[in-house]
Amino acid sequence: MQIQYKPKRGWLATIFQAEIVQGMTLTLKRLFSKPITRQYPDEKPKIRPGFRGQHALVRDPETGDCKCIGCMRCAMACPSRCIRIRSHKDKEPGSRRVIDCYRIDSLRCVYCGYCEEVCPVNAIVLTEVYEYGSYTRPSLYFTKEQLLANWDRFAAELDTPVEEYVNPFWRPRGLSEQDLPAPKRLPVSPEWSGEQQVVGRKWRQHHTPEQS
Amino acid sequence: MNILLLLVWIIILFAVVMLHVAYATYFERKIIGHMQVRLGPMRVGWHGLLQPIADGVKSFFKEDIIPANADRPTFLAAPIICLVAMMTSLAVLPFAKGWVLADINIGLLFIFAMSSLSSYGVVLAGWASNSKFSFLGGLRSMAQVISYEIAMGLSLVGVMLLSGSLNLSEIVEAQGNSILGMYLIPQCIGFFVFFISMLAETNRVPFDLPEAETELVSGYCTEYSGMRYAIFFMAEYIGMMVMASIGTVCFLGGWNGPFAVPFFPPLWFVLKIYLFMFIFIWIRATLPRYRYDQLMDLGWKLLIPLALANIVLTACLKAMIG
Repeated sequence: MQIQYKPKRGWLATIFQAEIVQGMTLTLKRLFSKPITRQYPDEKPKIRPGFRGQHALVRDPETGDCKCIGCMRCAMACPSRCIRIRSHKDKEPGSRRVIDCYRIDSLRCVYCGYCEEVCPVNAIVLTEVYEYGSYTRPSLYFTKEQLLANWDRFAAELDTPVEEYVNPFWRPRGLSEQDLPAPKRLPVSPEWSGEQQVVGRKWRQHHTPEQS
Repeated sequence: MNILLLLVWIIILFAVVMLHVAYATYFERKIIGHMQVRLGPMRVGWHGLLQPIADGVKSFFKEDIIPANADRPTFLAAPIICLVAMMTSLAVLPFAKGWVLADINIGLLFIFAMSSLSSYGVVLAGWASNSKFSFLGGLRSMAQVISYEIAMGLSLVGVMLLSGSLNLSEIVEAQGNSILGMYLIPQCIGFFVFFISMLAETNRVPFDLPEAETELVSGYCTEYSGMRYAIFFMAEYIGMMVMASIGTVCFLGGWNGPFAVPFFPPLWFVLKIYLFMFIFIWIRATLPRYRYDQLMDLGWKLLIPLALANIVLTACLKAMIG
């Protein structure tokens, strides 16, 4: 294939520099178009479903503690190995594991959401909070208490009641209902669960962007 | 007494021009921002109106770093040479009838001399910084100024021929009050050559090779910081304004407009200058930078022959008609 680097043009176009004039009209047109800038701290972006932000451990309303059962699946699934769990089991039979320590190094986290997808009891969640920058590293190594506090802060700002909150990632996408364990059969919108799953380029066709 | 009055005028002119320079940066950032579908400065004051003042305060209080291996006296003098040369040319500009500090008979030549001098500042800055980026920027500036100075001088010879004077006020008077009297129409080739070499003289896009950000960091002012860097910027913007004024005086009829403005006679002059400034900025928002050899080609092979042809044509026509 031959590439023509210098397009042919007539002598009139050469004298009046038609390409430059074209470019100049384009920039002049843009001068009068509406800027797409978002004035960030004043004007917050709308969080879309599927946003993965600050980590939190869901507080169980019955026990007041986290829902974690110490199965270590999140720590296994984590690609950056930023979850560290220590748990022990009491001597008497039938008792559940007690979590001694649950720590997330959020500086190492890549926010893939595998931990919440794999968690059998929906204990861990990546909330929609994104403004938690800090000047010190230790404040971003979340302990279990901090993670529970993160959840409380997030739950306080939710529009819906806390019991009805469903993070879409708690139900892994592309799996049919019977393949999921009981706690993962959650009422998420159909586009998240199965065939109608809308991701990537198709997203814009389904949702007209109210702000681009 | 006369000298005192002149001093007052000089100070007023200095203050007004500095204010215009400060707001020209704002104007530029806003226009380029909107042309790129952004907003430009928005934070300082209403729609960022105080941004130039904040910038000025910031650069004034910044540390003035001088590289250890720099040629100290030259390094310190270079920005001042730039600024002084550019500010001096303001003295001969006629802002309105009689509104001129020094109504000398070689006004046009004086401005050429001063704009060439200011490029010494750039070259010396490049030399004194003792850094390869600065040095390359200075070299490029030298080559560019030499080749485009000629084209620019020659392009204005047509105007001199038509008006029969080098005095800027007389050039304006010779163009008369009507639009048809503007030298833009008989000197359209001259204007074309002048416009392109004006862009090159002021180191603006698409001829900003001396300070090409993408390849030379910041060209000749790489090693400068704080107020000295700001002085280079001021010199650049005053240069733009001076060049715009020459264009206005020589081709667009200076202070003459469709009707006389009662209390502020320089209004048309200022409007025309801002038209030029807008075009400067518009071009900056649109065009990419020239390649170095293309720059030289354009200067020597196109603009200088065109300007020479324009002189011959103008002289012949003038001899035949008048």
